[in-house]
Amino acid sequence: MARHLVRQEQVAALLVHLSRSGKVIAPHKKGAKSFTFQEMGDPAAVVLDYSRTIVPLKKFFLPAREKLLSFDLVKNQYEVPSVESPQRIFVGVHSYDLQGLTRLDQAFLKGVPEANYLGRRENCLFVGVGYQPDKYHFSRSVGIPVNKTEGFDLFLHKVDAGYVVEELTEAGAGLMAGAGFPAADGHKGVDEPSFTNNLRVHYNRLPDLFAKAYDSKVWGEVSKRCVGCGSCNLVCPTCYCFDVKDEVAVNAAGGERVRLWDACMSEPFAAVAGGENFREHLFSRQRHRLYRKFKYQAGGTDVPFCVGCGRCAEQCTAHIDVTEIVNELYREQSGEEIRKSGN
Amino acid sequence: MAISFSHIEKQTPYFPMQSEIVEVRRFTDLETFYRIRLPEGRELGHKPGQFVMVSILGVGEAPISISSSPTQKGTFDLVVRRVGMLTEVMSRMQPGDKVGIRGPFGTAFEPSAFQGKDVLIIGGGIGIVPLRSLINYVLDNRKDFRRFIIVHGAKTPQDLLFPEERTRWASSSDVEYKLTVDREAEGWKGNVGVITTLLPPLELDLENTVAAICGPPIMYKFVLMSLKGKKLPDENVYVSLERRMKCGVGKCGHCQINDLYCCQDGPVFHYPKVATRKEAF
Repeated sequence: MARHLVRQEQVAALLVHLSRSGKVIAPHKKGAKSFTFQEMGDPAAVVLDYSRTIVPLKKFFLPAREKLLSFDLVKNQYEVPSVESPQRIFVGVHSYDLQGLTRLDQAFLKGVPEANYLGRRENCLFVGVGYQPDKYHFSRSVGIPVNKTEGFDLFLHKVDAGYVVEELTEAGAGLMAGAGFPAADGHKGVDEPSFTNNLRVHYNRLPDLFAKAYDSKVWGEVSKRCVGCGSCNLVCPTCYCFDVKDEVAVNAAGGERVRLWDACMSEPFAAVAGGENFREHLFSRQRHRLYRKFKYQAGGTDVPFCVGCGRCAEQCTAHIDVTEIVNELYREQSGEEIRKSGN
Repeated sequence: MAISFSHIEKQTPYFPMQSEIVEVRRFTDLETFYRIRLPEGRELGHKPGQFVMVSILGVGEAPISISSSPTQKGTFDLVVRRVGMLTEVMSRMQPGDKVGIRGPFGTAFEPSAFQGKDVLIIGGGIGIVPLRSLINYVLDNRKDFRRFIIVHGAKTPQDLLFPEERTRWASSSDVEYKLTVDREAEGWKGNVGVITTLLPPLELDLENTVAAICGPPIMYKFVLMSLKGKKLPDENVYVSLERRMKCGVGKCGHCQINDLYCCQDGPVFHYPKVATRKEAF
């Protein structure tokens, strides 16, 4: 497949060219130091060199607030909104975010394949870009290097002159057709950058680690710091738990049944109407969140549900980092092994 | 890559069928019985032990066990305890009112697991509600099952549901109906004590007895311990568990019991499957 050289000053022209094939959604600056994925207006506002967006791509497929039904309370009837599948091109996506999406695909395909999510997921192309890991990223530790191009249609490799655009699929080649960028002969992309934040245990050993971690003291320790706000759930690319609520209009004539992002860290998440709360304690909710990332959902594949984006750590009000928890579990277990073998 | 899901049969599981309440009976201050008919003469097509999501537009949805046997045609029954907003609104409904129904969802007390066996039903409190679907299934196909024992407990005589049916169970020669209430009450001449007090005297053909259990969370621990004491094999035990649910199709996450989704892997579990799950009981 072809590789094209796009010089720094030609990036806007590339974005404009891509926008001829569909709606371009790309990272933009938000406030002083944050980034967000949004639909491109001015190509000059797109930022390809960024750490991470506040919220991952899931918001485009599982909206934070989604209308499931609209109802008329006078007639006691409802209508079903249609799910739109516009042609969209997601540009400037980091490898962990596309991997996060593939994990959501698994969740929404499993059992009952859900039309709402899967419908929105069609007609989307992905253009990846590399990044310089910061103190929160640990994707490599969960098997997702910066330059993991799997699943992308095009990938932008940073070079001194600008970017080398690597075609990875027929659809990606189609996007580049007629763009008129020269072949990128002789330009080599940057090597895989190193990560400062790492798990001390290989990801294929995590299910074993978690198999023995259920009654660890670490959960109690972490929950002393955790405030149970659920920010980690909301910004996680692979958290998809939701609430369903009826919202009635002020004139009480109608309203909407909506699905909203929910957080398993929140206190009433597993409470039933009779008063029983099946995960009453913060430590059990913290443990559940981590088990969903590293044990429950990995089922058989040995690939963690966590993609190492570092959003949960960056947004945590109590400065808790997943790597810290996992490494502490590892230290606890390996420490025990050392003591046992010493006896 | 542009993924195509066009080859997959996608489902839209969130649309309730507006259904008619055809009968209402107030059993207790908290619990009400509803007989419901789906639109256009549709059959619910459930199995004993499954549940539906009941929906009232403008109020919300809640998971409710189906209380009737699939042998009952044309309608199905729910018994609802008034504990939250939806059930409060529902408690004021009358015949002719409409509720939305989604489902049936979840696993069942598969009749095949009980056929040709002694059937032991253990129901505490409103746990008897989902069990009634199996009880009535057994009664309607009585020759397919051997001994039929119903062990039933409630807090007080005022909390007992299904008055006429209990009279029939008690008087039927091919049902062994054991009933107890937790506390003494005026005019009560039956057993007094928690449900586990009924279990030790039971003589069971251990290899050929299959138990179906449903009750409040605290009950499982003691009933399961008692059955273990009697040496009933774990493989012969099925339990029905309750959790918060928002979708019914294994997505919303509220009902998770460790890695299991109560709405899809349950609500009826083969006991060995949940015995190892620390969040189960």
